[in-house]
Amino acid sequence: MKIFSCLKSGFGRTLRSWKGVLIVWLALFLLVLVFIYPLRGSLKSAFGSSMITERLADGFDIEVFADLGPALKSILSSVTSGFMLVYLIGFILNAFLTAGLFGSVRKGNGKFSAQEFFRAGSVNFWSFLFISFLITVILNFITGIVLGIPIGIVSMSETMPESTRFAVMITAGAVTLLLIPVFLLVADYSRSWMASHENESCFRAIGFGFSQTFSKFWSSYIMMVLLILTQLVPGIFIMTILPAWKPVTGGGVFLLLIVSQLLLFTRLLFKTWRYASVTSMMEETAVINPANINHIQDEQGRINPVTG
Amino acid sequence: MKRFSICLIILAIFIYLSNAQIINKLPLSDRVTGYRIDVNLDTGSKTVNGNMEAFWVNKSSDTVPDIRMHLYMNAFRSNRTTYYTEMRGSPGNKDSDLGWIEISSFTDENGVDLLPLMEYISPDDGNKEDKTVIRILLPEPAMPGDTISVKIDFETKLASRIRRTGFTDDFYFVAQWFPKFGVYEAAGMRYAVKGAWNCHQFHATSEFYSNHSVYDVTLNLPTEYVTGSGGKLISEKDDGEMKTLTWRAEDIVDFAWTAWPGYSVFTDRWKNVDITLLIPGNRVKQVERQFTAVKNALEYLDQNVGPYPWPHLTFVDPPSIGSGAGGMEYTTLFTSASSTIMPDWLHMPEMVTVHEFGHAYFMGILASNEFEEPWLDEGVNSYWEERIMDNYYSSKSGLINHRLLKVSDKSSARIAYTRSPARQVVSNNEYSWKYPHGTYSMMSYQKTATWLHTLTGIIGEETMNNVFREYYRKWAFRHPSGKDFIDVVNVVVRMEHGDRFGSDMNWFFDQTLYGSGICDYKVSGISNRKYHKPEGKADSVDAVAMEWPNTDSLYTVVAMLERIGDVMLPVDVLIHFTNGDEILEKWDGKERYKDFTYTGYREIEWVKIDPEFRIAMDVNYINNSFTLEPQRAPLHRLVNRILAFIQFFFSIMLL
Repeated sequence: MKIFSCLKSGFGRTLRSWKGVLIVWLALFLLVLVFIYPLRGSLKSAFGSSMITERLADGFDIEVFADLGPALKSILSSVTSGFMLVYLIGFILNAFLTAGLFGSVRKGNGKFSAQEFFRAGSVNFWSFLFISFLITVILNFITGIVLGIPIGIVSMSETMPESTRFAVMITAGAVTLLLIPVFLLVADYSRSWMASHENESCFRAIGFGFSQTFSKFWSSYIMMVLLILTQLVPGIFIMTILPAWKPVTGGGVFLLLIVSQLLLFTRLLFKTWRYASVTSMMEETAVINPANINHIQDEQGRINPVTG
Repeated sequence: MKRFSICLIILAIFIYLSNAQIINKLPLSDRVTGYRIDVNLDTGSKTVNGNMEAFWVNKSSDTVPDIRMHLYMNAFRSNRTTYYTEMRGSPGNKDSDLGWIEISSFTDENGVDLLPLMEYISPDDGNKEDKTVIRILLPEPAMPGDTISVKIDFETKLASRIRRTGFTDDFYFVAQWFPKFGVYEAAGMRYAVKGAWNCHQFHATSEFYSNHSVYDVTLNLPTEYVTGSGGKLISEKDDGEMKTLTWRAEDIVDFAWTAWPGYSVFTDRWKNVDITLLIPGNRVKQVERQFTAVKNALEYLDQNVGPYPWPHLTFVDPPSIGSGAGGMEYTTLFTSASSTIMPDWLHMPEMVTVHEFGHAYFMGILASNEFEEPWLDEGVNSYWEERIMDNYYSSKSGLINHRLLKVSDKSSARIAYTRSPARQVVSNNEYSWKYPHGTYSMMSYQKTATWLHTLTGIIGEETMNNVFREYYRKWAFRHPSGKDFIDVVNVVVRMEHGDRFGSDMNWFFDQTLYGSGICDYKVSGISNRKYHKPEGKADSVDAVAMEWPNTDSLYTVVAMLERIGDVMLPVDVLIHFTNGDEILEKWDGKERYKDFTYTGYREIEWVKIDPEFRIAMDVNYINNSFTLEPQRAPLHRLVNRILAFIQFFFSIMLL
């Protein structure tokens, strides 16, 4: 029952923080737009007054882009370097925005306050950046090992029976999928704790993340799996609807933009629900540092002591 | 004397059997050469050793003083051979890595030892370290009609790094493994001015120019090996430890075989052709794909070129340890290339299968000289491979059929040629090993296929099919040259289109096959100007005003075209007007620029050169059209998608 009460509480907190989610969406949208807009200009300029773009009506046509010749090379080179740069900025920006969101979804933060959002973001920025970086590295490393080594062995073997091969690959995939929620829990618990202990070391936060994950493992794990599955829904829509939908008019293209951004906003809402539910779970089970008691407010904004 | 008589009788029986029919009812070729080979595979020393009897018939009117044979396994003898010099590689440092062929006995039908009369020659590059061609001075010159029979004892050590042929662990792919005759070209054959042997060294880029021959091959090897070959299995004896297999192949240009304990064998049938597939056990899922691909190729080439004349066909999907043997052709045996994980949307295995099978026609049946005219072998075959793939797997997704990316086989070849920075370095008319700057593949495969598609666009697909039907009818089981192919094109095009393309199609081949120019047409602009009435005193009547009463809304419009490239090909030009009218103009493409001017109550909205993309050689389709109102929606849609996918990616990757 604890799981559902945390999910319910997290959902409520997420709805109250929708403006924070909007800020996150807008920030990332603008960031990617900064990268995309010049790309759009380059493509328009490269195709000029040609009618070859008709051939893109049915989807991507490699021949059309190949014929751009040297223009394509310069576009690809700027896209590659631009993407790396945007990803790096996105990673840093995300640390700031996530810190704001974790600050917003804490218990007692009744009304969303942009001021509080940005304050939490700035105060916890470095800690969140470090935690995100560390968990991302660990997650990628573990995934690479658990998934990469068995697949490599299976691919190289010429005599392994099909059934064994299938079993090895399924097992590797399943283990990877089972491990991902664990590290997400560590990351979320660490950040949630950090949001409540602003002046503490981020190493302590990570330590707390690990201990909290494994001390309340099953309830935390099941809750995380449910939240990940929920996040998959808009993702599936994005991956299926967008490639299949081929509007040919300006209005249709604009509608595509609106729908895709709504789906992405929904996905961010679900992600925030994850943060809020984990925070809720932490608050229900963890002993909060008394030094930070003055930060814990009830839903009406009153300052309350926190029970363990 | 007794020994001599026995030898003579055995050889006579062998020659008789070589001309006997076991597979087909009638011989398909002249059978200028024939081979009976009896060998053992020694899996310890990685050698194939035994003896062979072979004959060559002098069907020319020349008196020929010598014979020439190739010993292509010697290409793997050291890193100083022509093959490795061209490859800039090495066969390996250890003795066990090297490949070679040693002849221990060489006699003629009279038992005369020919070994002292044998010498290594290097007709292509004079490389003394290359021992891939031998010349044997005959004790008596071969008179017209003579049959020269030889008996050879040989040992072939297989190379460890499989490049087309060799072994890895217990996998064997054995090709270019026995002494084989070159082709004696009498005066008038292909480009021969006087009779001479055409027997090239082994090069990095090509390996085939041979007579159609009969092969009777007996192989002795350990029982656990699963085997396949270009022949039809005649008998198999197994004593528990070793087995002896006897194959016969008729009218093919080379005989290769493979052995590996890990093969699974599958069979299928198309019309009267028994098809055998040897594939690693863990690729069972791909069996159906492979059979479908080969049957598609059989059907398409049978319909559009000519019948596949053998009742048997074996193909091999080599394991990863033997991937160097993949993508090769030995007429009735070929190798595909695949891997254990191969998504359905990626048609690479099918493409390789279709391509290598196609060589049964272009090189196997139509035995052109791959060394001297690789385009006639690889290029023509690539053209058919692309047609087959795009026909059976969709014209837009013959090669890749993923919902996010679709690529046709024809497009991939066109892109490889049109985007190559070396596309103008050399013409297609070059010996295979002389292509500079790594242009061999692009020129031989992709450029040829692209100009053949262009020719199809000009003369029409049915005429092109008729060209190949006639080419097959006239040249099957012979040695056609590029000139012979062009002659067929000229005859068929003239027969079907009269003078529409001129007295012949040489103008096309001069530019595409023998030239190195590029083809690029461009619509440089559209001009829509209001008609200006003549002002002042005029000596004559304004004819335009006479024809068009309302000159206030009258326009003089111009579609301005350019030929940027050197290649001049006839193109269609489609001009669309604001009132919906369309005019299809023909432009012979000879001028550097061309204006189509019209007067009327309408403006030009857009212009397209080659609206149906028939001229595949055009290196830039983007400048082939011009519109006053460009359609941006597809571009914006693409950009919106990229935007959404990057945001989605960030939402996943950023914790």
